[in-house]
Amino acid sequence: MKKKSIALGMAVCLCVGIFTGCGKDGEGAQTVQSEQGGQNGQDSRETEQPSVVNTVFNGELERDVTIQVLENDTAVSKGYFAELIEAFNEKYAEYGIKAVDANMDQYLDLANDGPYGYGPDVLYQANDIIMQYAEGKHIYPLPVEKMECFAQVPETAWAAYRIDLEGTVYTCGVPVNVQAPMLYYRKDLLPEDWETAWDENGNKIPDMAENWNAMYAWSVRRHGENSSQYGYMKSLFDVYFSSGFLFTYGGYIFGNNNTEPADIGFSAGEAEKGAWVLSQLASTMNEECIDDSITTNAYSKLADGTYFATITTPDMYSTFLEEMILVYEEEGLSKDEARAKAEENLVMTTLPALPESGDLTEEGASFVDTKSMGGVNGYAISAYTKHPNACLAFVEFATSYDMMVRRSELLGIAPARNDAADTAGGTSQLLYNNLEAGNIVLMPSIKEVSQIWTPGETFFIDLAKDAFRPEGEKKYTDLDAMKKGLEGVDQQIYDAIFTLK
Amino acid sequence: MKEKWNKFISAAHGSSWKVRLSAVVMGGGQFLYGSYGKGILYFLLEAGIIAYMVLRGFRDIQGFFTLGTQKGDPWLGTVGDNSVIMLLMGIFAWIIVAAFFYLYQLNLKDAWHTQKIVESGKRPLSFKEELAQLMDKKFYITVLILPVLGVCVFNVLPIVFMILIAFTNYGGDIVPPELVDWVGAANFEKLIALSQFAPTFFKILGWNLLWAVVSTILNYFLGLGLALLLDKECVKGKALWRAFPILAYAIPGFITLLAFKFMFSYGGPINQMITDAGNMATGFLDLDAKWMARGIGVLVNCWISVPSIMLLATGHLSNRDMSLYEAARIDGAGRWKQFQRLTMPFMLFATTPVLLSQFIGNFNNFGIFYFLRGGLYVDGYFLASDTDLLINWLYNLSIDNNYYCIGAAISLVIFMITSLISLVIYVKSPSYREEDTFQ
Amino acid sequence: MRKNVSVGKILDTTITYLILLAVAFVFFFPCLWLILASFSKSGSIYSFDGFFPSQYSTASFVKLFTDTAMYNYPKWFMNTLLIAAGSCALGTFLTILTAYTMSRFNFRMRKPMMKTTMVLGMFPSFMGMTVVYLLMTQFGLINHLGGLILIYASGAPMGYLTQKGFFDTIPRSIDEAAKIDGATNFQIFTRINLPLSKPIIVYTALTSFTWPWSDFILPKLLLKEKNLYTVAVGLMSLDETEFARFAAGSVFIAVPIVILYFCLVKNMVNGIAEGAVKG
Repeated sequence: MKKKSIALGMAVCLCVGIFTGCGKDGEGAQTVQSEQGGQNGQDSRETEQPSVVNTVFNGELERDVTIQVLENDTAVSKGYFAELIEAFNEKYAEYGIKAVDANMDQYLDLANDGPYGYGPDVLYQANDIIMQYAEGKHIYPLPVEKMECFAQVPETAWAAYRIDLEGTVYTCGVPVNVQAPMLYYRKDLLPEDWETAWDENGNKIPDMAENWNAMYAWSVRRHGENSSQYGYMKSLFDVYFSSGFLFTYGGYIFGNNNTEPADIGFSAGEAEKGAWVLSQLASTMNEECIDDSITTNAYSKLADGTYFATITTPDMYSTFLEEMILVYEEEGLSKDEARAKAEENLVMTTLPALPESGDLTEEGASFVDTKSMGGVNGYAISAYTKHPNACLAFVEFATSYDMMVRRSELLGIAPARNDAADTAGGTSQLLYNNLEAGNIVLMPSIKEVSQIWTPGETFFIDLAKDAFRPEGEKKYTDLDAMKKGLEGVDQQIYDAIFTLK
Repeated sequence: MKEKWNKFISAAHGSSWKVRLSAVVMGGGQFLYGSYGKGILYFLLEAGIIAYMVLRGFRDIQGFFTLGTQKGDPWLGTVGDNSVIMLLMGIFAWIIVAAFFYLYQLNLKDAWHTQKIVESGKRPLSFKEELAQLMDKKFYITVLILPVLGVCVFNVLPIVFMILIAFTNYGGDIVPPELVDWVGAANFEKLIALSQFAPTFFKILGWNLLWAVVSTILNYFLGLGLALLLDKECVKGKALWRAFPILAYAIPGFITLLAFKFMFSYGGPINQMITDAGNMATGFLDLDAKWMARGIGVLVNCWISVPSIMLLATGHLSNRDMSLYEAARIDGAGRWKQFQRLTMPFMLFATTPVLLSQFIGNFNNFGIFYFLRGGLYVDGYFLASDTDLLINWLYNLSIDNNYYCIGAAISLVIFMITSLISLVIYVKSPSYREEDTFQ
Repeated sequence: MRKNVSVGKILDTTITYLILLAVAFVFFFPCLWLILASFSKSGSIYSFDGFFPSQYSTASFVKLFTDTAMYNYPKWFMNTLLIAAGSCALGTFLTILTAYTMSRFNFRMRKPMMKTTMVLGMFPSFMGMTVVYLLMTQFGLINHLGGLILIYASGAPMGYLTQKGFFDTIPRSIDEAAKIDGATNFQIFTRINLPLSKPIIVYTALTSFTWPWSDFILPKLLLKEKNLYTVAVGLMSLDETEFARFAAGSVFIAVPIVILYFCLVKNMVNGIAEGAVKG
């Protein structure tokens, strides 16, 4: 478990990092060109149907071909992918089109492998990755207006896949599901009197799941009553999750809608309030929040009741659930009983609201929605495929209502399709609404984003460690100090990107 | 030089027309003098190289200079020039050209030699006899041809390539199908102009040298000590005792590093024991743990490297001349004296290359701090942490950012410093200067 | 007097064994920790009592070898075994020959070659990876296990200096005696020096066999299909919740290496020490 971030770091950095060179098609240069082009071609937008799209996707299905599809590991391991390709192959048997598992690493680098013919034909990825490929023209722009799912997917999701190249706007991917941090908590570990004491607005949802002030108060109490138990736990270290707190108070990653790397905004607005919230939360945890210990042990510690709540992405729901089932089985329940009990006790919901002041102890605070970093995962078609039309047919099929509902059932993801989200209900709907409300800040899709992690991590580690430093040695005692710290982060990111440019 | 030239001129004058034929058609002279096999071989080589040059060699050399003129576009399906491949193929073509000139000169010398033999009334060696020589007098050629070829393709070629990259603008935004260009020394100028650069560079260089020296000495002497200990007569079941370090050696380094990182993390077993005993958890590897993290790095590196040194030293120890020890014992030399006077000089002699390669390996040890304590930028360092070695810093600065040309330039600088140091040490070492001390 | 010696000897032996025990503990404990973790029943490292799991089961190993739909460990294992065996055989052969030649023959290019290889080893290896990838795409050797063997075996002779150090300590007088008897250099090598150099062959074989098990940059680069993965790459591709599988998989890597060690161990000490062929 420990290995994951590091392993990925190593693999992705070394391999992707070194190799993107072999074919990333000069994204940056393209961006510059497209900016200039964008101004000239402003009025030609939307009206002109990009010709390359029609030439490539002429609607004539290639016959007797095999297309290689790269899905993510969860979809494969939970059996969804097998179902999907079976259904597709059956439907397109008359054309002789066959979809197969590309059987490659889910984090492969198309820019590197594609040009030499070693990539998949269709791939499922997060929007930031897909759009980096789009900048390098490694994936085809798609005729999305003609697709069945077009009207069902919200504009915000489509926007994540739009790119402006040389004055023309292209859409290079089809949204499948929304990813954003979710709150996981144990219903059975709520205080017994929560319905009376911890539900101020009486909506049958505990306050801890509604605002961070209640979560903080409960964390303090739970840990105070029994020092080996904790309330909310999460490694601060994790930039992906921690940065949302900064965004809520006006921070951002890159300016101009995450497209301008020279404008770095971790310290923008009143982001220091977000840092303050984090440091208050850290003080109710233990030293494990300094490194990634909590991120990796949360599954088992939430299951055994040590932790009350944590946050992570919705696709981890089944992992939490399985850990809990294991614990219940250990206690002597049968498989079905254990599952039922786990499903009853484990709650996944959207993030609680933050106090406007950033003070988690404030009485009667007014709250604002928490923003979080997130993404829209979807399908894209490699520009190196020999059978674009068959690929398009596959994407069309995979994003149909039936398949999306099935996907959501099996994988617990939040569909980007409105009708499928409706059917799935629950958190899918909430996430979908959050996306529409703009509370999910999509990961920037420029390559400079790779430079935000280390400076961000260093700051959050320092902030977390500060909670455990003896009085007098603390570095971040007031908002000003936190602001300075965040400005340092901005500076480091800037240096990392531009010093050698 | 002049003498050589004169010799060449006189040889040219004294050569027969058959030798001169060799100057045009390689192997022609040898063929006419009756060395058919060799003649045909030379001819085939020449024909092959000429065919290669016509078919693609000239184009590749041209590409080496232009690095491509036509940009590709995957959307339109146009296949453009790939500058990096062109550079690679260009280097390859140069190698072929160099090989041709070498062969050509060899061919002339050989033809001239054959002429001399025939003139003196002897029969030139038959093809079979020449081949037989390759098993005996020229055994080294037979043996070295494969390794040299392999090393050239997979080690030398990449290095030449990266050195050349330091003089281009490859990286960042300019990667294929964008066309790469030669920029001269611009990358080096950029490096010199950076003011933030020098302080961090020297800080890291200092630590890097300290790290390399300490780890090398520690690894080497612990490995040697362990081998000597296991070599003692009183130790029974040597194979079994040796198996423990071997077990450590059998687990891949990255897994070991991840395991140790976990052990020392806040949630790891060591901290669990500390907190269970009622103490504050200790951040062994975290932000403020400068010297502790460095110390842990050294120890973990020992754990990984000592077994292989022990293995090697065991092999070397068994090669000692035991009669010397007997003589020493008769002279009344104690154990320590024997170690000092006999074992140490012998081992140092036999393992100087190992020491050096250990030193280099440690100097450029990317993995250890990347796995143990990656992802930190510490105050007072420019985009580096206080445990980072130069190679980690190089990685942060350039590769992580795709700035290959700058990365290549920095590594060239580091490369020159380190290679100079170790070359001097090596050339001065007894195992280079007096190779036959123990023979 | 006699008694003193034996007391000293006993003391010496005791201390030796004490140190050996300590060394064994230092090396064995982390391994033991990994091994026991792989037998942990819960499959999570966070439910341990201190260092070791509270309950054991072989479930992780069973899963590792039977549940192959997603992560085909047996296949990865065989791939790695093939690559390791291939590059071990080829690499050892080339390295020993190179080292022997550089130690025994005197030719014009010798010293320059020695210096060059010394210097070449110092170039940061990951800088060259881009080129290796490009080369392999040109040779069409991506997704071929043979391509990896080729690279490992070609790189092996770079480390010949270690082995040369060994050959430098074998007395030349033996060679000369054989030469007088009319042996060719090839025969001298195969009949005389090779049998004498068992320890270094064992060392070379072990190191070149072990390398492919732990390397994951190169296979990650050159093997794109999951079925062709080596163990190291495969383990790194495991999902983050698969800790038990990871532990079991990484412990099992050590098995072939340890077996190889026990097969070769009797050759670790060679005849020359026993004074069999003293020049």
